[in-house]
Amino acid sequence: MIVRFEYFAPKSLDEVLRLLDEYGPDACLLAGGTDLLLKIRAGAVTPTAVIAIKAVKGLDLISFDTTKGLFIGATALLSDFAGHPAVTKHYPALRDAALATANVQVRNMGTVIGNLCNASPCADNAPTLIAMGGTAVVESRNGGRCVPLEDFFKGPGQSVIGPGEIVTSVTVPVPPKGSGASYLSLSQRSRVDMSAVGAGVFVRLESSRIAQASIVMGSVGPVPMRASKAEAILAGKRPSAALFARAGEAAAKESKPISDVRASASYRRQAVGVLVERALGEAAARAKGD
Amino acid sequence: MAAFDIVGKGVPRTDARAKATGSATYTDDIKLPGMLHGRLLRSPVAHARILNIDTSRAKALPGVKSVITGADIPPVRYGNWRLFPNLQDEYALARDKVRFIGDEVAAVAAVDRDTAEEALGLISVEYEELPAVFDVDAAMRRGAPLVHDEVEGNVSLDRKIRYGDVESAFKEADYVRKDTFTVQAVSHAYLEPCSSVAQCDQDGRITLWTSTQVPYIVQCLLASTLKMRENDIRVIKPTVGGGFGGKMELRPWEFCAAFMARSTGKPVKFTLTRREELATGRRRHPMKLISKVGFKKDGTLLAKDLKILLDGGAYNAMGPTATFLCGNFGAMLYRYPAYRFLGLHVYTNKPPASAMRGFGAPQSLFASETQMNLAAEELGIDPIDLRLKNAQVPGDEIPDVATISSCGFRECLENVAVMSDWKKKRKSKKKGYGVGIGCYSFISGGVFNWFNTQYAFSTAEVRAFADGTVHLLTMASDIGQGSDTVLKQILAEELGLAMQDIRLTTADTAMTPQADLGTWGSRVTLMAGNAVIDAARQIKEQLFGAVSARFNLNVIYDLECKGGRVQAVGKPERGVSFGEAVAMVQKTNRGKALVVRGSYTPRRKGLVTPAFSFGAQVAEVQVDQRTGLVDVKNMWTAHDCGTVINSKSVEGQLEGSLHMGLGYALSEQLVMDGGVTVNDTFLDYKIPTALDMPHGVSACVPTYEPEGPMGAKEAGEGMVSPTAPAIADAVHRATGYRCMDLPITPEKILSGMKNKG
Repeated sequence: MIVRFEYFAPKSLDEVLRLLDEYGPDACLLAGGTDLLLKIRAGAVTPTAVIAIKAVKGLDLISFDTTKGLFIGATALLSDFAGHPAVTKHYPALRDAALATANVQVRNMGTVIGNLCNASPCADNAPTLIAMGGTAVVESRNGGRCVPLEDFFKGPGQSVIGPGEIVTSVTVPVPPKGSGASYLSLSQRSRVDMSAVGAGVFVRLESSRIAQASIVMGSVGPVPMRASKAEAILAGKRPSAALFARAGEAAAKESKPISDVRASASYRRQAVGVLVERALGEAAARAKGD
Repeated sequence: MAAFDIVGKGVPRTDARAKATGSATYTDDIKLPGMLHGRLLRSPVAHARILNIDTSRAKALPGVKSVITGADIPPVRYGNWRLFPNLQDEYALARDKVRFIGDEVAAVAAVDRDTAEEALGLISVEYEELPAVFDVDAAMRRGAPLVHDEVEGNVSLDRKIRYGDVESAFKEADYVRKDTFTVQAVSHAYLEPCSSVAQCDQDGRITLWTSTQVPYIVQCLLASTLKMRENDIRVIKPTVGGGFGGKMELRPWEFCAAFMARSTGKPVKFTLTRREELATGRRRHPMKLISKVGFKKDGTLLAKDLKILLDGGAYNAMGPTATFLCGNFGAMLYRYPAYRFLGLHVYTNKPPASAMRGFGAPQSLFASETQMNLAAEELGIDPIDLRLKNAQVPGDEIPDVATISSCGFRECLENVAVMSDWKKKRKSKKKGYGVGIGCYSFISGGVFNWFNTQYAFSTAEVRAFADGTVHLLTMASDIGQGSDTVLKQILAEELGLAMQDIRLTTADTAMTPQADLGTWGSRVTLMAGNAVIDAARQIKEQLFGAVSARFNLNVIYDLECKGGRVQAVGKPERGVSFGEAVAMVQKTNRGKALVVRGSYTPRRKGLVTPAFSFGAQVAEVQVDQRTGLVDVKNMWTAHDCGTVINSKSVEGQLEGSLHMGLGYALSEQLVMDGGVTVNDTFLDYKIPTALDMPHGVSACVPTYEPEGPMGAKEAGEGMVSPTAPAIADAVHRATGYRCMDLPITPEKILSGMKNKG
């Protein structure tokens, strides 16, 4: 298949925004290219302009501030993110999710935000970022907006990002005292693979009770999905294995998986319940500082 | 056992540096001036009559130099089974019908690959779709659509084996069980996709560089399909990135490259994509295996009745050989006083299955080894003890096959039990934990001459030079298994030379001696190795004569080639350097070069193989009982490959086998939706990664195979078979789920556990 497009590698964000504005829906942003190039080659997308953003200075920033929290720039690599001292220290679950993404080679090319913008239901970085209250900072020539990641995904391969827009960063609040998070995923080939099921959870304890719980499941619906009924089961309760098992069961019931070549719907439903239960256990342990 | 200088050592591979540094030249690396790029148009439907093909728009596209269809080429059917022409069932491009999704319909050669690809989209083919069959049961049903109109019932070949009185043996048996097993299609997944470049010279002769295991077979079949003389075709095998049985036939792109190089006068290259390889490529046969076995109470085997239905896909490919061999593998490990086998090779409208590492053994042994484990459980006998009771030993005769010469199977079983601490681990009641066992026997090359070659099975030419070097020429094909290194080692050992004293030219049908049947069935070390030894001994005879005359040695003296010298044994001062000895022979012969040819053809070795190898493997697993995920912790392997020629190569073969066996057991499967291969990328065709590999420990049981070069026989191909039954047995101990249909997926484990309550 002959694919012809204009290729741009602007050095400034202004230039990126101008090009996005000029080419509108026919433009594709290129960061690591680990998803985009495969799609172009397969003919799944046919851009007239490909705008590479890796040359934009400062866009790969990863920083942490004890009041503002975590800042992840648009071109921050998955491997840099996973190895960042602040991420390791304050957001171990986000690190785990980044490390669960694809393989070393892809993590050395691909970006955290690219993983989100590709909007796959199995994006490994989405569930935990949503559960921890992450927000996407979206910019365009007409100004900017902030979108909570929970509202970011619209369907398989679809997000709220429209023509002319770019996600320049994602921010995550400082984890409150007494909180913990966890990401677990699995696939048939157990160690380096695209996840067949994933679960990202966040819990905050207050006086030994669960004051806040967020559960987000991957690959069991058209978008990374919240398990609200399971969350409700947890609210105000003392963390225990039995409670987490009940929450897992509820999450499994809420999930809306499909059958495909990677797993059947019934297996996904069963497995996501187990993952939610286990992730809650790990998150609670982290919350207690174990 | 003889002491060796080079044989047995972990000599580095001759191609290690080139491959590690990326300088090895594979077929797709070859770029010739003016070269065109070819692409194939494949059938989008599983079964259809071709009503019309319009190539005019494709031909009109600027940059397109040639478009051909089945109507443009000689109507010659081909296939590897030349001995039985009715089994040759393929045309390079479809003529009347297409029979699977991916069947080659037309070919385009253009100035670049993109143009060729674009031209494919401009060819319009009118199909009349026909009803199709996608599994063996449907294909054999009365009134089923015929994949090949002339083959009634879609059974292209049957194979029967029968010895002993099966019926009365079952009557005598205290314990009889009958089980049905199914196994899936898997891909060879060689890392180098198929690639071919053809060039036509001024005299009309063809040179084809191609990624193949069988240059000689490609040469012969290319000649017949092009209606040319064999000697007008030169096939060269560059560095090959794996074959595993998937590159052992003439293939349409090889034909098309040659045909279009001749018609356009320009070199033409075809390189397949990974998607083509996975979606339409050769694969390991899915099989349905129905096996009945009978034992005495004490575990003595009395009889087996085995029926195997091979899902061959749309063409025979190497299916007939797999049909023959899976019957032999069904009764190779143990002594069966009575055995009956019926194998049916069945056409379906799917990509053809063919040879793949193990050649019928992984399927057959998954069934028979699992059945041994089932029987052991019900007879209340430890599975290793049950095997020891029935294991083949040297001198055992397999009726109509051969008498087994070297055999270290019992030692393998005893060894692996000790290595793995079997008795203790097997008793463990730890949740989700289990150990299990599987065994194998394998062949060292085939005897049955299905290709009907007129040449020796393997040939080697050795030229010796006065500078102390030699040149070894052989058509034997190193496709990554390391035969170049092993053959050099054998020659170096025989002639007392160092590895660097040997120049090697291989796998060029115009330059290396006729012939060699290629790389498959673990035949190269034994057969080409024997040919090399034959040549080396002829060289030595002449050198010894010259040295004997020079030192006026009494005829009772023995001579040797050692350390670069040719000398009397025990009296090294009565000798000269290898080069001087060569010069002396040349002078004696008044300037004639010292060149000899050695060969090997198995004779008086039955119709299956000249030598058998054996092994036993124990798997240790931990299963997550809630998700069904299997973690293979350890694998212990004891095997009998005769003399080890290259210890590093054997180790590499074992690692590779384990890796492939692991995928076959747990994760690899070409998922079919009717005739569509659903998972046609490496994302969804799940080969285990390095991180999935268990810790492995192996031991070679020392034996000496009289028919093999320096006592060597097969290593590493048979080993792909025990892994799946061993893991399946371990998973059964861990979870209660007994796998009868590979692969062992987490879903099957969970539902199996549920059914057990």
